[in-house]
Amino acid sequence: MSEVRFPELSKEQPDAEGVLATWFVNDGDQVASGQLLGEVMVDKASGDVLAPAAGRVRLLVAEEQAARQGTVIATVE
Amino acid sequence: MSVTDSAATTASAPAARKLTTARAIAEGIAQEMERDTSVFVLGEDIGKYGGIFSATTGLLDKFGPERVIDTPISETAFIGLGTGAAVEGMRPIVELMFADFFGVAMDQIYNHMAKICFESGGNVRVPMVLMMAAGGGYSDAAQHSQCLWGTFAHLPGMKVVVPSNPADAKGLMISAIRDDNPVVYMFHKGVMGLPWMAKNPRSIAPVAEEPYETPIGQAAVAREGGDATVVTVSLSVHHALDVAEQLSAEHGIELEVIDLRSLVPLDREAVLTSVAKTGHLLVVDEDYQSFGLSGEIAATVAETDPGLLRAPVRRVAVPDVPIPYARSLESAVLPTRERIKAAARELVGA
Repeated sequence: MSEVRFPELSKEQPDAEGVLATWFVNDGDQVASGQLLGEVMVDKASGDVLAPAAGRVRLLVAEEQAARQGTVIATVE
Repeated sequence: MSVTDSAATTASAPAARKLTTARAIAEGIAQEMERDTSVFVLGEDIGKYGGIFSATTGLLDKFGPERVIDTPISETAFIGLGTGAAVEGMRPIVELMFADFFGVAMDQIYNHMAKICFESGGNVRVPMVLMMAAGGGYSDAAQHSQCLWGTFAHLPGMKVVVPSNPADAKGLMISAIRDDNPVVYMFHKGVMGLPWMAKNPRSIAPVAEEPYETPIGQAAVAREGGDATVVTVSLSVHHALDVAEQLSAEHGIELEVIDLRSLVPLDREAVLTSVAKTGHLLVVDEDYQSFGLSGEIAATVAETDPGLLRAPVRRVAVPDVPIPYARSLESAVLPTRERIKAAARELVGA
């Protein structure tokens, strides 16, 4: 199982809180390695969340929900 | 709702890949740049910044600064550059940051880009895409919120396309790049699916991964219905679909929503076919009301067969005032769901 972490958009504040803006996949979807899974935002900076491996994705954070940088927001099994 | 108990867990094949409209545009451009080395992109902040509304994000990393060119702030210079390059056989995509900025470069646009083919007796082609952001709804005031597609459509010599969703945005961009005529490609900021704008679920949808064309000049029936026809474009398609769902649930009124997708050429047949079915026409346009798209659609029916109409045509557009900054005033002039719903109910007498 691979963990998908909230990417570090703010280098100055490693524990900055952001928002899970968009999931491009549904919970349980089969995804390919490197596929775009979602988009996150810290303040107005946004970043992509890519699949670290192929498999079935599990979404752990809902859209619009806040999350800290570095926390696990999804897994790929 | 828990995100972990979705019904999608039974899926075994990869689900249809979804993109935002902004990403779909950038993907369409990238695929054409891979296919054809004469395609290049230029404009303000389209390289390092990725486009102020993200229509060109990732292109600089893929194709480098010779084909993805950040320009100085002179719209006249870089639109003229694009026209010159197109005349010499390249296929430039020029981004004008906001449609509102066309004024400083209008001579380059409507006297040169749009007329060179005509004035050369068809001997010189201008295969250029002039891409620009349009529309309001986020308090960006009178000089950054206009749609203005009626202005470009009014002036001969340019095709004008206005996609409302990710799949059309990619297909129309590829068609625009391959077209030998100048194509004005206008995206409403509210359909781009940007995380820092108001959330719009209709701006994120499945998009085929391979390159494909969406025909320029062909409207789409976004929703079928028998009671009234709503002819509209861009973000107003999303609002019209929302209203159609509400009226269906609350009053049993079924709206047919026509997404024009292109203003030039205009798919008049699609309008007439739908009005022949419903007998009722509502035109929704985020551009100014007078001398524009809404009047053109009404005239199309009136000139062809006014007998199709069982009630007078209704219009929901921006009254002829600049777009206000104050949120309350701005929403009073924009074609909101509330205004569309009230007009649709009046139209069918419900």
